[in-house]
Amino acid sequence: MTKFIKRLLPAALALALAGCAALPQDAPTSRYKVALIAKSTGQEFWNAVFTGAQAAATEYNIELTVTAPDNEEDFEGQNALIEEAVADGAKAIIFSAIDYEANAAAIDAAAQAGVVIINIDSQVNSGHVAAYIGIDNYGAGRMAAQSALDGVPGQLNVGLINYEVNGANGRDRAAGAKDAFEQSGRAKVVATAQTHPNADDARRDALEMLRDHPEINVLIALNEPSGVGAARAVHQMQRSDDLWLAAFDSNLETVDALQNGAVDALVVQNSYSMGYFGVQSAYRLLAGQGSSVDTDNVASAAVITRDNMFAMDNQRELFLFE
Amino acid sequence: MRPPRTAQLVAALISALSLLVLTLCTVLFLRSYRSSIIESARTGSAQAVSQVVGTVGAYVDTLEGAVGIVKEHLGDEESARDAFLAAFLTARPEIAAITVYDEDGALLNCWAQDGRTPSEDIVRNLSFDLTTAKRLGQGYISTPHVESIFTGYYPWVVSVVRRIPDGGHRCWVSIDISFKELAGTISGVGIGRHGYCYLMDERGNMVYHPQQQLLYAGLKKEEAGHLACIGDGTYVEDTVIYSVKRVPGSPWRVVGVSYVDETVNESFWQMFRIAVATAALIFLMALAAGLVLSRFLSRPLQELESAMEQFEQDADRFAFRLVRGTREVQNLSDSFAHMVRRIQKLMTTVREEEIVLRKTELKALQAQINPHFLYNTLDSIAWMCERGKNADAVEMVHALAQLFRISISRGHELIPIEKELQHAEAYLRIQKFRYKNQFTYHFTVDESCLHCLCNKITLQPIIENSIVHGLDLMVDAGHIEITVQPDSEDILLIVEDDGIGMEPEQVSALLQNEPSDRTGIGVKNVNDRLRIYFGAEYGLSIRSAPYEGTTVTIRTPRVPEDREADYDKIH
Repeated sequence: MTKFIKRLLPAALALALAGCAALPQDAPTSRYKVALIAKSTGQEFWNAVFTGAQAAATEYNIELTVTAPDNEEDFEGQNALIEEAVADGAKAIIFSAIDYEANAAAIDAAAQAGVVIINIDSQVNSGHVAAYIGIDNYGAGRMAAQSALDGVPGQLNVGLINYEVNGANGRDRAAGAKDAFEQSGRAKVVATAQTHPNADDARRDALEMLRDHPEINVLIALNEPSGVGAARAVHQMQRSDDLWLAAFDSNLETVDALQNGAVDALVVQNSYSMGYFGVQSAYRLLAGQGSSVDTDNVASAAVITRDNMFAMDNQRELFLFE
Repeated sequence: MRPPRTAQLVAALISALSLLVLTLCTVLFLRSYRSSIIESARTGSAQAVSQVVGTVGAYVDTLEGAVGIVKEHLGDEESARDAFLAAFLTARPEIAAITVYDEDGALLNCWAQDGRTPSEDIVRNLSFDLTTAKRLGQGYISTPHVESIFTGYYPWVVSVVRRIPDGGHRCWVSIDISFKELAGTISGVGIGRHGYCYLMDERGNMVYHPQQQLLYAGLKKEEAGHLACIGDGTYVEDTVIYSVKRVPGSPWRVVGVSYVDETVNESFWQMFRIAVATAALIFLMALAAGLVLSRFLSRPLQELESAMEQFEQDADRFAFRLVRGTREVQNLSDSFAHMVRRIQKLMTTVREEEIVLRKTELKALQAQINPHFLYNTLDSIAWMCERGKNADAVEMVHALAQLFRISISRGHELIPIEKELQHAEAYLRIQKFRYKNQFTYHFTVDESCLHCLCNKITLQPIIENSIVHGLDLMVDAGHIEITVQPDSEDILLIVEDDGIGMEPEQVSALLQNEPSDRTGIGVKNVNDRLRIYFGAEYGLSIRSAPYEGTTVTIRTPRVPEDREADYDKIH
């Protein structure tokens, strides 16, 4: 009998210890604090991200703070915001990098402090990113080019208006567009402009390009401010009818321009879903449901033209509730 | 199957019972806990949906109120009408635009906030749909849409379209009322830890969903079509709670969606962990109880058990040590000790009594004289007297007298070997007369043995056996040699004949069978007596071979004359 007990004693002890160890796991009672750090606040694109994030925050009962630096080139401001969020006790940071390299150190430091990092829209060079949600930028570039190839017959002389030299997104979109044009065999990129991400600079650069290269009949603007600037330039040069302008993202001005013909196609990202899935992934990772999170989630992008802009699904893409 | 040990049984019983109770409690608790959680989640969901229904209802009232006022003043004189509507729009900033259409759906008038005018080239007018208006006759309330007739002004609105009675060519009026605030309200409603609300129409078409972009992109699905078929109420489907409620005065229904899985499952696992920990604890305690029981009950019982086994195997030499334990065990142990003492005492008594009985019995046998021997001897004496062989007759009578004298020996069992030899010789003399000198005999005696004691009538039955079974049947004369010699501490009495001998079966029969009344005391009795008096190492050994003769060796201890009392306790 004693032998029997002695044999069972370690097993029973182990069982008891396991039970006790399993016992005091604190239930996640308080709301999670999550910080969303964007590139800027003024654009429709980011407003949609924030709306989506807020919807998920409401659904998952999360305390969400949304911040962004003053302009879309201020990666130092972004790094400061990351530090602030960590100091503020954020459990997760949803982050869109202005600079692929320059933001990496701050993100690594935050991850070291135990913060879950979720990357949306623009990637950052860090091994600590738990999930990435963004569109296929190369594919989106091809979509913009394809809309021009579909809408313009004959020879295409293309002008590219790019932005953010150090960002990964613009580079990938430009590469996608160039490849698509090259493969078509009837298109040539005659000019490329690198502009600052604000509408006035973009307009100036676009005007200059159109004056220098009057043969240009296709313009591709690779983000929202450059699209606005390009639309203004096209309108100013009165080339709405004989020039195909494909722009990225949307705002009031480009929607107006789409209606009056200055803009012919808008490549619109489902940025709402970036915000929504960013927060949802944060919740799942924090709540220990990490297995249900895709580490690489490709958000959708769509080409919107004058004909389909008021279709119900595109209305929700183009126009936010504000 | 062997029945289990007590301590194991107790440990197993405690464990099993506690586990049963624990499982039962856990299951019952979880069940009631789950249902209460679901109940509270249902209540929460229903409350949230009711609030949204209230807000949406108020919104619909606003729509209807506005349309009523506008319709009243549309028939006014033009300048008065324009002035009123301008003031009305100023007073009601949530109204984006008022538009009027003719029979064919062409836009006739438009009054809008901030005096906006419609674009010259309207891509698509979402504020008025002639087909729907005609189909429904009196007008409709649209789903939320973007105001699409202006440039640079795209608020989300809901259009209320109504037919204008007596309006002449002005057939339809559409009032676009901002939807933004309501959308904000609906989006801002969270239910429980994980849940939201949306708005659908009677057929399950989505009117407004806070995550509509996800629905369009196919990243999310709603059960709106399915929910459209069922009435208002709260439904629990698996881990999702749906709360559906109609908005009075409108074609819309509010749906609240919330999830119970996380909280319920979390609690379940927590309970499970507690149950496992408790079970482990109980198991541990049961083992401890088993250990204690084993120390105080089971082990002492085992000791008692083995003691009883030992007692069973060797009752004589068993010595019992008391067993410690609980009071019951000690009582049991005391009783057992008592019993052991009693049994051992009884056994000794029985054995002693048996020996006494046996000795008495043998004594009674010795006292008997084989009557046939006596008759035959007396016949022989009578015959001698008749023939005048007086000398022979006298010698016979002397021998007979000596035989009887020694046989009786004043009741002593042990007599000197000298006397025993005289007894044997008297017997031999009588037999020699009777058998007409058919055999000879000779004594070889070590003088040192003569004064030692031996059982009386030891030699005579052996000699009788030799004569009756060995020599009587022989044609030639036989010889009996009787030897007395010391053998270390013992004395050997050897009777050797050269008769016809015996088969081994006869030999063993000789030592086992009680004698018949013809044969007197018998060989077996000699052997038994020696063993009873001196122990198992003493007694007879017979060596015999057919046609060669028989040698019987009697081993007896060397008993000096003064030690008689040590052995012969029965007088």
